[in-house]
Amino acid sequence: MKKQNTTTRPLWGGAAGRLTALALLAGAAGLTQSAAAQETMKVGAPLPLTGALSPEGLKQQRGYDLWAKTVNEAGGITVGNKTYNVEIVYVDYESQTPRAVQSAERLITEDGVSFLFSPFGSGAAKAASSVSERYQIPTVAPTASSPSVYDQGYQYLFGTFTPNSTLTTPLADIVANSGEEIKTVAIYARNDLFPLAIAQEMEASAKAQGLEVISFDEYAIGTMDHGSAFTLMRQSQPDWVFATGYINDLILIRKQMADLGITPKVLTMIAGPAYKEFIEASGPLAENVSSAAWWHPAVSYEGEDIFGATTDYVAAFEAEYGSTPDYAEASASAAGAILQVAIEKAGTIEPQAVRDALAGLDIVTFYGPVRFSETGQINSLEPPVFQIQDGTAKVVFPEDVKQADMRYGDIN
Amino acid sequence: MTRVLPVVLVIALVAALPLLGDNYLLRLGTMGAMYAVMALSWNVIGGFAGYPSFATAAFFGLGAYTGAILQGAGVYMPLAWVAACLAAALFAGLLGLAILHLKGHYFAIASLVVAEVLLEITTSWTSLTGGGMGLNLPILRISVDAQARLFFWAMLALASLTLAMNWIVANHRLGFGLRCIRQNEDASGMVGINTTLYKVIAFILSAVFVGGAGALYASWVFYIEPPDVFATLTSVKPIVMALLGGAGTVLGPVIGAVLFLVMEELVWRNLLEIHAAALGILIVILIFFLPGGVLGLFKRRRKPAAPSRPLASAEAGR
Amino acid sequence: MLYAQILINGLVLGGLYACIAVGFSLVWGVLNVINILHGTFVVLGSYIAYFCYVHLGIHPFLSIIVSGGILFVLGFLVQAGLINRVMGAPVLTTLVLTFGLELLLNNGILLAFSADYRTVQLANPLGSTIIGGLVFPLERVVATALALGLTVLLYVMLAKSRIGRAIVAVRMDAEAAALMGVNVKRIYAVTFGVGALMAGAAGSLLAIVFPISPLNSTEFLGIAFVVCVLGGLGSVAGAMVGGLALGVIESFGALFIGPEHGLTIAFTLLILLLIFRPTGIMGRRGYE
Repeated sequence: MKKQNTTTRPLWGGAAGRLTALALLAGAAGLTQSAAAQETMKVGAPLPLTGALSPEGLKQQRGYDLWAKTVNEAGGITVGNKTYNVEIVYVDYESQTPRAVQSAERLITEDGVSFLFSPFGSGAAKAASSVSERYQIPTVAPTASSPSVYDQGYQYLFGTFTPNSTLTTPLADIVANSGEEIKTVAIYARNDLFPLAIAQEMEASAKAQGLEVISFDEYAIGTMDHGSAFTLMRQSQPDWVFATGYINDLILIRKQMADLGITPKVLTMIAGPAYKEFIEASGPLAENVSSAAWWHPAVSYEGEDIFGATTDYVAAFEAEYGSTPDYAEASASAAGAILQVAIEKAGTIEPQAVRDALAGLDIVTFYGPVRFSETGQINSLEPPVFQIQDGTAKVVFPEDVKQADMRYGDIN
Repeated sequence: MTRVLPVVLVIALVAALPLLGDNYLLRLGTMGAMYAVMALSWNVIGGFAGYPSFATAAFFGLGAYTGAILQGAGVYMPLAWVAACLAAALFAGLLGLAILHLKGHYFAIASLVVAEVLLEITTSWTSLTGGGMGLNLPILRISVDAQARLFFWAMLALASLTLAMNWIVANHRLGFGLRCIRQNEDASGMVGINTTLYKVIAFILSAVFVGGAGALYASWVFYIEPPDVFATLTSVKPIVMALLGGAGTVLGPVIGAVLFLVMEELVWRNLLEIHAAALGILIVILIFFLPGGVLGLFKRRRKPAAPSRPLASAEAGR
Repeated sequence: MLYAQILINGLVLGGLYACIAVGFSLVWGVLNVINILHGTFVVLGSYIAYFCYVHLGIHPFLSIIVSGGILFVLGFLVQAGLINRVMGAPVLTTLVLTFGLELLLNNGILLAFSADYRTVQLANPLGSTIIGGLVFPLERVVATALALGLTVLLYVMLAKSRIGRAIVAVRMDAEAAALMGVNVKRIYAVTFGVGALMAGAAGSLLAIVFPISPLNSTEFLGIAFVVCVLGGLGSVAGAMVGGLALGVIESFGALFIGPEHGLTIAFTLLILLLIFRPTGIMGRRGYE
């Protein structure tokens, strides 16, 4: 067994790898060589750049890159008499949770990152959080909403998504009190961590509003045909259809609903309509589809963070990528911006101090007001409800950023 | 015995890896040992008997979930590991009886689809497995370093056991019988080899330690979800490793596992988005330029025939 | 009425399944190669249809010619250049080889087009029509009809044309065919090309039904597997029956047991069939 090979080669490869990654990163982001006095602060970001979640991974990458670029162009993060340039170390975890955990450990022990951004989604974020907790590395999770991620008693994990119920409660409230004749709800959920969890929250929220949940069906990951489910639904004629899944599922579901002539008064889908890709792919069928998300470009805050006002952030993003940011991209940028504020407050990049600063944060950012609860999950956001009208997502709640009234009917 | 001694020495040396005190290195070592378990296990059915099994993922996932569910129910961790071994072995026995009469591609597909079915069942059976939400394991209240060492040594011990199993099989009547089956199954039956029994035993042996590795893995990473532990790649990788080192030999799969790990790590570190393509190229090169594996380079003179040749395409589909 | 509608859904779906599977079945039957690349071939066909529609305005129903042609060339080259070299090798060799090629090609597509889902949005969609209370989604119906038409065309081609008869001869006995003066390696390459052509054509048709992404390839491959085993290996008629059967079974399975079990049912059925009736529901068919 020539196992000794393993003991040396990866280390050697590691050094070469880091150099290559650095060179690539510097080239890609167009970073100029910084002054000698500046140090580099590394933030680790395990991302699903290939595999099933790769569309999500690319979104997060855009969000992080924009933050790093903005910070470095502004001269870096200054704490005390030191200035740090930000370098984000990416690892592709191939959409496999075990790889995500491995990546987290590699980033901490091999690449020497000071901070970590969690991998995508609640499941992977939770799995990787055990690593960052063990090494006491402050970690910001930009895409984990499930409270079960945060209630493990961990000290170093902070999340920028409020619990799922903060999305479903206002939705149910708006629909139930719309004055329209809406009494029955049919729920159709992908059997997967987030889509199933939010569907269950929706069921609870709908029941709390006195609506009747006439069906709750699940479909398997990778389902290519929803014909039977919608043929049944066509018979039960629900007033409100609530479908969950990822963007590919929802594009297909929307199309098959139209094919089979399901015309509820309200059609709500999570998570997909918040992405411009959904609107582009569904075309006219996207009209009047409602949804909710943790952030929307129409919200308006005067941030104390590097991005400043929400409009400034949106403008910066559009200048960089030529498209409007969605909540996933914004949340990734926000994770960086929040981390930066905490570092500046702490006056050091020492992990314990930054953790304490994060825990005690009470600020307003472009993303919204930021306060973390005891468990580390943000509890200060009011997620907007929106509806696709005339090809764009218009906010219908909360009142102060409302762009349009919710429309009922007209779902063909 | 002269050939066993160096192997034991190497294992002992590898077991001293924690002295270097690098947890990431230990993680890689644990991964390497896990790969060795899977490649060696596959070797029994795929290398010796020449049956193209794609059931590794099924055994691995079954072991992982058995271990995780039992640990969640408060069963002592090592007992849960043993139970996972037994569950995988039992499952392999029953499955083997059902599908080992199939040949060639049919067997390959049946074994491949088993993992898919288990994946779907695990995903749907939410009350037991947590379904798509995944399953969390109780966290060990020991230090980071102690955990890294514990799982490394446990996985290394399992790999050593699997290696010993391969060695015993190779030098035992069972190994002879399996090679006969690989050469010509009908003729083996005629010379008095109970082919069904031999094949089922080989299938069970290819499952038992993989089940254990699955359970160990679950305890190691604390959180499992169906698509990860039942991944098709889990079935394919051991085959590539065994082919890389030399299928049908005892040390070949181990060498293959280590080489594969090193290559995978190098590719993964140095290329951000194209490791799948790199793995693909590796496979293609392997098929064209290294048909007998690394060991085949040295042994070609003594054993002219490449392993498992008789299962040639013309017969296999019939 | 409900059952009639479910039956229609199933048949409309099944025709597409048949088209996905028929090329895969042909290659398996004639070459005894399990082509893991097949799913990615289908995806490539969908992308070709997408670009044809977006940039050239060619309707996916017509771009089957373009995607089929491109895929034929690609398939021919892959077989002639790579797989032909290992045709005599054990089952595992060709299987692992096509798996390696699949990793390569799929990763390439991912890098070239990203995993973002795209759809072909027709400027003038046909929509649905209701006849006697039953809903017929017209795009799907036409796509299915075309899919079945192509399958029949392939069947006729195999039976009537010179090259088709050569393929059948190679399938029955490659050595005898070689003795009769058939260039077996070339026939292998043509067959693999035809398999890829059918995949590409299926991809074109699917482009108007499913969102397009390289990530779909495993689903398509899984369908091809199940249909092949259901219908019996290597026979064109078998793939047709198998595809329709799978569509109908999946639809009724989703109705009676629940939509989350559609795939489980299909795969369980596949294993049971393999165990008890490895020749498929049609029985031992064709040329064996």
